[in-house]
Amino acid sequence: MAENWQLHVTPNADNDPVFVGIGEIPTGKFPDRGFIEALTRVAILALNDAGMVPRDIDTILLIPNLHGAADQADLVFSRMVEELGIHGSAKSSYMVHSGGSTSDNAVRAAHGLIATGHAQNVLVLQCERWGSADLNEMITMLSKNGIPGEWELPTGIQFNAIGAMITRRYMHASGSTPAEMASVCVTLRNWANLNENAMFYTKPLAVEQILASRMVADPLHSYECPPMADGACAFVMTSAGNARRRGISHGVRVAGSGGCVSHYCLSQEADQAVLGWPLAAERAWNQSGWGPHDAHIAEIYDSYAAVTTIALEGIGIAEKGEGARWFAAGNGDPGGKLPMNTNGGLLSAGHTGVGGGTALLVEGIRQLLHRAPSKRQVEDCERAIIGGSGGSYMDAQILLLERTKLGA
Amino acid sequence: MKTPRIVSEFRAGLGQGELLIQNCNSCGKPNMWPRYACPHCQSDDLGWAKSSGKGTLHSFCVLRQGAPEGFDGDLPYAIGVVKLDEGVQLLARLEASAPDDWSAYSCDDRVEFVAPGAAEAQRRPCAIFRRAAD
Repeated sequence: MAENWQLHVTPNADNDPVFVGIGEIPTGKFPDRGFIEALTRVAILALNDAGMVPRDIDTILLIPNLHGAADQADLVFSRMVEELGIHGSAKSSYMVHSGGSTSDNAVRAAHGLIATGHAQNVLVLQCERWGSADLNEMITMLSKNGIPGEWELPTGIQFNAIGAMITRRYMHASGSTPAEMASVCVTLRNWANLNENAMFYTKPLAVEQILASRMVADPLHSYECPPMADGACAFVMTSAGNARRRGISHGVRVAGSGGCVSHYCLSQEADQAVLGWPLAAERAWNQSGWGPHDAHIAEIYDSYAAVTTIALEGIGIAEKGEGARWFAAGNGDPGGKLPMNTNGGLLSAGHTGVGGGTALLVEGIRQLLHRAPSKRQVEDCERAIIGGSGGSYMDAQILLLERTKLGA
Repeated sequence: MKTPRIVSEFRAGLGQGELLIQNCNSCGKPNMWPRYACPHCQSDDLGWAKSSGKGTLHSFCVLRQGAPEGFDGDLPYAIGVVKLDEGVQLLARLEASAPDDWSAYSCDDRVEFVAPGAAEAQRRPCAIFRRAAD
């Protein structure tokens, strides 16, 4: 497919959108940490990191939660504008939602708003309370998300079943062994062991432990299923011109993006071991001029190991069929060829619903701003591939981010 | 809300032991899941064709815990995606080859539709498949 789909923004021009700050609080089980409390804390952390105060923000974009409709209504109807004291001056506050790929689409929304002048300083906020929610309620709620109820609910499908089908097809197509699949989880855990905010910061994990854990949805063992967690994070975007005027020396810009919505329900996907990644990658390379080996890190949605290995292959980081073995060889580990999901990912930092993708994005921005703790900061990190997927892996979304000197 | 006609007709087919595929009377193409307008030609002149019930198993899983509300009593159970020979695909339950045992199944197996029986079609209005004889 010969597409020419360029961004209408010149790198480092005054209207070029840049990330300038991030905020995050620990992921895990925090039943006493309130929803609005957590959102307020990450908002202030991100604003401090950006050298801003709430009054600088004109637009808030909200990442949804999946734990409750009442909290969702608080988000949609601008509660955070009032909590931050910017009622009367804020221009706009609204939600972006495409499940696990929401953060990728929120970046596209903020990017467009800033480049065209609809917004100057955008704050993106996320909080989820999956770790403290009733597990059975969440399972039933999730069995109705990304699934056409009238056709598929009678089968008894739910999220681990969806992950298990993708995993089985991937293992069949690639010839990957259970130990090779488990090695993906071990790489993620190795990163989580370097991240104080990760749910499993203090707990190492080995392939043998995973293979000995109980079977939940063949071929998935319980240690291969994502741990539902509470978590919150935030980031700030502005224009390169605004950033320069504020004396900010470095930011992170969007070099390009690509996406493909390949299905709504998994039963209609042509090939569960491929999904939308090849077309998403082709579009991303076309827009940016990058290739699969131009990045220094990758932060790619990992609700199950196969979700990430399929993406790695579609993006071209690993050869076709070699994604799990690429992990087993240590390529994604700390000190490896391409550090992957350097916060520990959804599988080891914690699955915060829609926020799992946001946390990976925030980690990518953190690495590019060179603000990760020294034990996990990737040296000379200039370019990152961010990947997300929502619903029942309905889409493949790629953001290509690069560190940029603003000349201040 | 009243059950949409395309849903009740599909389910009535299951109750009568038939797997129905929506067929567009305008362009002749099969649609699955059934739609309100043909995604190929946008016609709303849509009817049904009886499926051969034969296809290949793209992937499947055996759920052993964490069933949605109302499905605990069914555990363990297997779900799979079947690519029908007619060129459309759907999600279905898989019949165990021996009690609670789906170890004989693999991806790309040939599978065939099993009539669920009227009572089961009422309880769980979804298609059931089993491995086809080699």
